[in-house]
Amino acid sequence: MLALARRHSTLLALSAITLVAVVLVRVLKGPDAVAHAWGGSVDLVIGILPSMLMGMLMAGSLRQLVPTGALAKWMGAESGWKGLVIASAVGIATPGGPMAAFPMVLVLSGAGADIGCVISFIVCWGLNGFNRILVWEVPLLGPDFALLRFLSGLPMGFIAGWISRRVPLRWAPPESLPR
Amino acid sequence: MTGRLILAALALLCFGLALRKGRPAGLRALRETRDNLVRIMPMMLVAMPMATFLAELVPADVASGWLGPESGLTGLVVASFAGGLIPGGPYASFPLVLTFLKAGAGPAQMVALITGWAVLAFHRVVMWEIPVLGARFAVVRTISSLALPLLAGLIAEALMPLFPHLLAGMR
Repeated sequence: MLALARRHSTLLALSAITLVAVVLVRVLKGPDAVAHAWGGSVDLVIGILPSMLMGMLMAGSLRQLVPTGALAKWMGAESGWKGLVIASAVGIATPGGPMAAFPMVLVLSGAGADIGCVISFIVCWGLNGFNRILVWEVPLLGPDFALLRFLSGLPMGFIAGWISRRVPLRWAPPESLPR
Repeated sequence: MTGRLILAALALLCFGLALRKGRPAGLRALRETRDNLVRIMPMMLVAMPMATFLAELVPADVASGWLGPESGLTGLVVASFAGGLIPGGPYASFPLVLTFLKAGAGPAQMVALITGWAVLAFHRVVMWEIPVLGARFAVVRTISSLALPLLAGLIAEALMPLFPHLLAGMR
């Protein structure tokens, strides 16, 4: 039971917030507002579902075409701005949540990537990951907004990597993954 | 609508390319699509009502005032840090952003908010970054990313003239 709750903790938390919001809307704004909000979410789901499905198909297919990893040898401390660009591209190409991306930092730094490159990687994964853009951002917020957001975010991995190479703190990867 | 058709065309093109690599790659692509769908659908079905019901509760002047297109630098700073405080994955943040946009928030402010959510991500630092990579990494990464949401918002502000229908189209 506890394990089940832990595995679905996100879903449970979202459900709880939703439930509280529904009750608050009913109490504070009345039944009309509840009906209005329900209508809005039904429209939202119906509206974005086809795009979301297409986004997932595109992300799933791209993953078969673009290999990641194996590029770490071009991400050393001497790699300059080219290393940061490659690391940014790998970050964009890396799908999945934090459970996949943070261990990937260990893989990259184990293979020789420096702090600037792993920071570029993790910032680009979080900000510009193609998987998230295709599955969430384009269907929900529209291609125009998604493009504006992507263009505004594009230099960020590079800038973060550049700054981190100048932060006077040494970082070495932990010996192994914590259990 | 055209955006949707383009996305569909690109998706089918990529799937075609995966199929050309061989049947196993095509099947893997389909299987990943299905797994993604099964994983995300329950989240989505809960997150969409969450967004629309929260929208009823958000006072209109928060979105159009504090985070409105005219809110300038203050709005960008508020959005950047508010973004960093939003916990959870895209299923939580993007419906909220949609809600804010519909309530009159500025696109550049929302770019700052998404960037704050993605690069500051205070909850992710505690849950993932420190346990897996250590506190020192989290410090270096946070120092390096602190200014990025504001910067992204400023770039978006500068790019806005290239997206004239964005302000009008969101209502």
